Formats: sequence, C-alpha cells, structure tokens
Amino acid sequence: MAHEDEGERTAEPSDGTVVRAVLQGDVEQYAVLVRRYRDRYARYATRVLGSVDAAEDAVQDALIRAFDQLAQCREPENFAGWFFLILRNRCFAERRRDRRIDDIETVPEPQAPEVSQTRLEQVERSRALQRALLHLTPEQREVFVLKHVEELSYDEIAARVGTGVPALKMRMHRAYDRLRDLLQETR
Amino acid sequence: MNETFDPQVKQVLDGERASSELPPSLRAEGEAARRLLAAVDRSEVALSPHLDTRVMAVVRRHAASPRYRAWRWLTAPSVPPWVVGALAAAAIALVLIRSVPDGAPVVAVPAPAAPESVYVKFVLFAADARRVALAGTFNRWDPATTPLTRAGAPGVWTVTVALPVGQHQYAFVVDGQQWIPDPAAPSIDDGFGRKNSVVSVSAGQGRIL
Repeated sequence: MAHEDEGERTAEPSDGTVVRAVLQGDVEQYAVLVRRYRDRYARYATRVLGSVDAAEDAVQDALIRAFDQLAQCREPENFAGWFFLILRNRCFAERRRDRRIDDIETVPEPQAPEVSQTRLEQVERSRALQRALLHLTPEQREVFVLKHVEELSYDEIAARVGTGVPALKMRMHRAYDRLRDLLQETR
Repeated sequence: MNETFDPQVKQVLDGERASSELPPSLRAEGEAARRLLAAVDRSEVALSPHLDTRVMAVVRRHAASPRYRAWRWLTAPSVPPWVVGALAAAAIALVLIRSVPDGAPVVAVPAPAAPESVYVKFVLFAADARRVALAGTFNRWDPATTPLTRAGAPGVWTVTVALPVGQHQYAFVVDGQQWIPDPAAPSIDDGFGRKNSVVSVSAGQGRIL
C-alpha cells in the first residue's frame, strides 16, 4: 500500500488532468503538454514536410493552436490524438502552399571523412527516397510515413487519421508505384 | 514507362507476406521492394530546445488577451449554454438580415437532425464569388466536403449542415483560396494571425441558424 502511495505522489498528471487545469485558468500547466508532445510527432512532421525547420514551425503553431482551441478538446484524456489532428492539418496546409520542392532540405550530407562507402550509399538512397516522397500527394506521403517511418499498422493509421483501411491501402499502393517510377528516374 | 509493383510484391511491402514466398518470376521485383524499404530513414528528429519557451510566451500572451478572457468566460461551465447559443444565433441571424436582399424569403430550417445534432444554415453574401465552401472543426477544415450553393438571390450562398451539439469554429473559403470569417459571427484568433468564426449549437435549438 505504501508503495502505491509513493507511486501516486511521483506519477505525472494525466493529459486529462492537465487539460482540465489549463481550462480552469492554470495556463502554466500547459507547459506540461508542450514538454510531453513537442517531440512525439517531430519525425512525422519532418518527413511529411521534408525539413526539420518546417517541422519545428508546424509543431510550434500546432501547440499554440491547440491551446487556443483547448475548450474544443472533447476527450481531454485523448489530447495526443486531438493534437495530432491539429498538427496534421497544419502540415497539410503547409504542403498546399506554393512551396518549391527544390528549396526543401532533405537528409543531410555526411561530412565525416571516415564514413564508409556503404554508409554513403545508404545515405544517398535515403536522400533519393526523401526527394521522391515530396513528389507524392500529401495523402500518399502521409500514409507512407505513418506506415514505414512511424511503423504503424493500417488499423492504427485508420484510427489516427479517420480514414478506412481499404482507402489507406489504395493510397499506399499508388504511392509504391509512384515511388518505383521516381526512384528509377533518378538512377 | 509507368511500372507498377505486382500485387504480391505490394503485400510484401505491406508486411503481409514474406519475400521468400514470392514466385521466382517476382524475385527481382521483390528485391526492388526490399531496397525501397531499406532506404526509409527512421532516425529521430530533435527540435530546438527553445521551442517550449517560444510556445509558452505566445500562450501567455494569448491567455492575457481580452478576447481570450471573454472566450473563457463564455465557455466556462458556470455560463449557461443558452447564453453562448443565443449570441451565436443572433450573430448568424444578423448575417441573414444583412445578406439577403429585401423581400427575399428566409427559409426556416427543419427540426434537429438527430438527438445530438442540429441543422445549421450558413449564409454568405459574396457577389463576385465563383464558388464558396464551408470549412470548420466539424469537417476537419476540408473545404472540399461542404460546398455552398447559390440561393435564389444574386450573390447569396447557403448550405445547411447537421452539427453536433457543442461549439464549432469555421470559415468560408471563397474561390478555393480566400479564407474569410463569417462577418457577423463571433470570431477568435486561429493562432496563425487569422480569425475563425464560432458557432455554438445547443440541444433543442432546432429552428433557426
């Protein structure tokens, strides 16, 4: 029993507890959510947008937007899922802008002279794939990132983005074909 | 030129079939699929350590703004829902009055669509628009899902949607490019320097809007 009490004292507050505290006026509690979620979807945003800088802007905007709209978070315990949708919308809006693909940063070039030839080839293949991803539609790119970068199942992706598994698979399979074409063109 | 992966190879890419199960005729294609997945970069991404500070600075500024305080007051549990509903209804009714030319009929909307949702009619006067759509929290801000149609009077665009009880933010999208808030509804900052309109739908409010 004593052990459980100690656990309760040291346990981090749940998302729902923090959301309710912020809504009741304790604005500083929002920093807990910022710490908790600032990095969780950073990789997703980076791969979808093609740049760490763009991802950082998107995560920052999404966190601010989530605060402004916190009263609309109907399931405070599911803040993570709700925040992901806000970030997702922000990433899609970014991709719809007239943004030159050439300007987008991709995987950085290795600089160290001791990097092996095998590693160089791996990096070059990753760069080529990242460039090819940017030629997919935002929806195709997202499903590829969620499945193969975030390593989610189709069922998990469906729950996260609210699209059925058959539609996601169709998107994905078109993405595979398009990527195959694009990667062959770059050889 | 457009080469496509065989469906069996796509199953390998999806992780639903082992590459060793591919027939010999598809081995080369299977190898191409393996190379594709081997190129996926799953390295972690580190954002700036100053991001937290920047976010909280904006959050504190927003929290101190009179608009946010007013919004919090309106959405606080101690404020009866009908206050918010009445304000939003008055605002949208004002749009109808402002937008519809003299003598044009204002059509009453039928009763609630479902126990937890209410039909809401959105109206915009946009004389020069070629198309108008509605985007909001209720359709994931996707303008493609909710287009407005021309009403009887020139320049008047309308759409009626069933909204769940609760508060919703929205904006009109004119000609696919211009996002504008409802001129007569309450609005809040969307965090990107633009305004979103706000509508509050309460149970039993099935007549207007």
